[in-house]
Amino acid sequence: MSRITLDGVSKRYDRDVLAVDDIDLEIESGEFVTLVGPSGCGKTTTLRTIAGFEKPTAGTVRIGGEDVTDAPPYERNTGMVFQDFALFPHMTVHENVAYGMEADGGYTTEEIDDRVAEMLELVELPDTADRYPDQLSGGQQQRIALARALAPKPDALLLDEPLASLDKKLREQMQVELRRIQQEIGITTVFVTHNQEEALTMSDRLAVMNEGRFDQVGPPGDVYDEPDSRFVADFLGTANIFDGSVTAVEDGRATVDCEDAAVSSRSGAATAVGDDVAVVIRPERFRFVSEATDGGTREGTANVFEGEITFTRHLGSSVEFRLETEAGRELVVVHRSGLQAYESGDQVTVAVDADDCRLVSQ
Amino acid sequence: MSTETSAGEPADESGRAGLRANAKWYILSYPLVWLVAVFLVPLLMLVVFSFWVNIPGGQYEAGFTLENYVRFLTTSLYLEQLWLTIELALVTSVASLLLGYPLAYYLARLDRPWLRSTLLITIISSLWITYVIRAYAWQVILASNGIISSLGVALGILETQTSFYPGYWGLIVGMVYVFLPFMVLTLYSSLRNLDGELLEASKNLGAGPLRTFRRVTLPLTKNGVASGTSLVFILALGAYVLPRLLGSGQQRTLPVLIEQQIMSESNYPFGAAMSIGLILVVLVFLWLLLRVTNVTTGDLGGVEAGGDDDGDTPRNSRGMTTRGWDAVVGVSDAIGLTSALGAVGAGVRNVVESVDSNTREAVIGASLNVYVAAVMLYVAGPLAIIVAVSFTPSEFLTFPPGGFSLQWYVTFFTEPGWIVSLFNSLTIAVAAALLSTSIGGILAFSLDRFDYRFESVLATFGVLPILVPPVIIGVAFLVFFLQIGFAGNWLSIVVAHGIFYAPFPFILVMQGLRELDRTYEEAAMNLGASPIRTIRTITYPLLRANVVSGALFAFILSLNEYIIAWLLSLFLVDTIPIHIFNQLRYSYPPTIAAASTVFILLTVVVMTSIDRLSGGIWQ
Repeated sequence: MSRITLDGVSKRYDRDVLAVDDIDLEIESGEFVTLVGPSGCGKTTTLRTIAGFEKPTAGTVRIGGEDVTDAPPYERNTGMVFQDFALFPHMTVHENVAYGMEADGGYTTEEIDDRVAEMLELVELPDTADRYPDQLSGGQQQRIALARALAPKPDALLLDEPLASLDKKLREQMQVELRRIQQEIGITTVFVTHNQEEALTMSDRLAVMNEGRFDQVGPPGDVYDEPDSRFVADFLGTANIFDGSVTAVEDGRATVDCEDAAVSSRSGAATAVGDDVAVVIRPERFRFVSEATDGGTREGTANVFEGEITFTRHLGSSVEFRLETEAGRELVVVHRSGLQAYESGDQVTVAVDADDCRLVSQ
Repeated sequence: MSTETSAGEPADESGRAGLRANAKWYILSYPLVWLVAVFLVPLLMLVVFSFWVNIPGGQYEAGFTLENYVRFLTTSLYLEQLWLTIELALVTSVASLLLGYPLAYYLARLDRPWLRSTLLITIISSLWITYVIRAYAWQVILASNGIISSLGVALGILETQTSFYPGYWGLIVGMVYVFLPFMVLTLYSSLRNLDGELLEASKNLGAGPLRTFRRVTLPLTKNGVASGTSLVFILALGAYVLPRLLGSGQQRTLPVLIEQQIMSESNYPFGAAMSIGLILVVLVFLWLLLRVTNVTTGDLGGVEAGGDDDGDTPRNSRGMTTRGWDAVVGVSDAIGLTSALGAVGAGVRNVVESVDSNTREAVIGASLNVYVAAVMLYVAGPLAIIVAVSFTPSEFLTFPPGGFSLQWYVTFFTEPGWIVSLFNSLTIAVAAALLSTSIGGILAFSLDRFDYRFESVLATFGVLPILVPPVIIGVAFLVFFLQIGFAGNWLSIVVAHGIFYAPFPFILVMQGLRELDRTYEEAAMNLGASPIRTIRTITYPLLRANVVSGALFAFILSLNEYIIAWLLSLFLVDTIPIHIFNQLRYSYPPTIAAASTVFILLTVVVMTSIDRLSGGIWQ
């Protein structure tokens, strides 16, 4: 297994379109890194650059310490799973999985047969060897595509939105399965998705990409809880974002004037009075308060909002409320199921501690 | 996310196919050598020849004279025949449109797949059968002891046996018969692309069938109408066999005159000058067509040519400008077509609107069915008659056959003349198919995989040969091969056919490459397969149906080709079409019918297998 290093990689199509803009990334051996971002952000181009399908306009790509920037795809040892799987339609499952080893030329027929059997075992489809891809379900095709990519023992596994064409239930199942197999083999993996939920649940680290650059790279929890930018906060999960300017900074607390409200938040190291900032509050950070039981929180550092519930939505394990404050701002609040039973039209008060607010630049 | 590489960015070569930068030129050079050195050079030589001086007695010498052109343009005979050629082509294309549109419409809307594919296979098979056999079929029908005449006498309409050929109307009937399938297939693909929901939407909005047709169907298929009509017009301009076999001495069209100058008079410079004249007519027409519409030369070939930047244009782009349609309307106005149609339409509408809508739809449906049945009979009947006649026990062609005998098949398979020509036909066709598949296939592959400057010019090269009338191809190659001492053998016919039919494999392979998902190749390379291995194990297997179909097309076309083979044979090589044609000059032994039946069968089998292979490319 090998580490992958991207060093100042840029990819320019035509003269004006800069798909990837000078990115650096170190992927440790055995690490599962997800590139996530909206469509057109450059994440697939980055992956294809690692695979060798795109040649970077500038920068170097290293796999296992070796500079492969100029190497064609077939001379790099990566295993890729494509979005629509790209199983060869004219070959059986066995022939598909054996393809990489046959192309390599260094395996005997027995070795190939053993390895194919082993791979089919790994993806839990041992009896499909003689079938053709069109005789398999979407989920089975997915597993075979993974088996095919892993069979020639690649240095790295590259996954290009492999779950996008599966239905929701199957997708969740495959997320777990993919992660299990990846950890079992311990292979360095780069996973590309536009699905923020997948990015959060599967990766060791994720890199949020926007307009050809990495906005933030880090473990999922960190990126979710401590977004570095308004874009990251907005893209990953749901966020209540208050734009405003800083009016006071004291004791690691900043007060932000957001026109309809003054919000108190943890301040960043360099926050100064007068900065234009955005306060990010995750929906699950809010709590409902009633004056009788919880009046105390109205004092101190908490931010308190009053509003009317306009919409409720059950998400299974939690409930999402939308409420509208008197000033007309919409807030999204998520709460565990089975606590309070609020309905549309109810007047409620919600609070959030300054420690649960995150200040980012606008 | 865009994975397309941009034009003129050399750094992207490895990203595309992993081939070195120069490889694209090596690959392109193969088809280019054939299409430039062996196709364009003869055509240019033809231009040069047309200025040379003829020495009576079959000689000529290099020089510069305008005499050939002067003779062509000042002799009233030639000018009259030039106009006749154009007139015949016009009448043929208009008649084909009127007969073909309802049939194509019916086929496109037909719900029963088996019936549709049967009818299509019938139409397509008849399309590829040599003009010689099809003209012969009409001779059998129109001759004085033929079907029409016999029927007329039996019914008391005719007093004596009368022959309806040779003559103008017999020729028109034959020409329309021969070119109608091209029209039907072009219109059919255009009508198939028409979204059925649009018609339902129109009806839902309260438009009756006539209004729906006039306001929705017709405007959306006008591209198909333009392509089909032009295709038939160009093909009819170059027709040689039909005027020879069905026309009288008055209907000697330009291709007939050209062949005469070359083969009988041995006046090569004058033949060349007339060829250039014919090419100019085609070019002027194409130029007009491209000016007033945006039908491309590729459309005429049935598929869009591989242009530079129109790769993502939907196949059924309805880009033909209103301006273009207006021009067509203007032309038809000029010849009174619109007012005539308008009058008929108004009359029909008056009748139609006097009854309720259910009756109206039923009447329209029934008349369409009757009309379609009649047109299908016209398409399929003559060949059925040939097949029936081939089993006649009598010495002469008679219809009805009046018995059953296989003696003519025995003659066909035992007489050396027939056996030799069958053998020649098959060898030439196999070799020509291989040649044209290699030219067309490699050209398509390089255009799809690499970026070239002037890509659309190169793509036009791929379809150009079929736009040149075959008689001119024949004359050009003859002149060229005579110069290098290569005429009068079967190999020269192979080369000419190989180039002339390269557009078919080109178009089919191009289409296959367009539809091929590149991800398969990327997956192969990601798994460590070199570019060559990828082509061998992934690209070719996935394209095989298209490659084989292309080869079969070229095979069947070469097998059925007459005029090029005839010109290049210098009387030394006999193929089945040549053999039949020569026999028709003197007598009508029923062996011809037997030979034709064998050929028809062969063609139907090959066309059906192409259909099977490609999973129904005709659908």
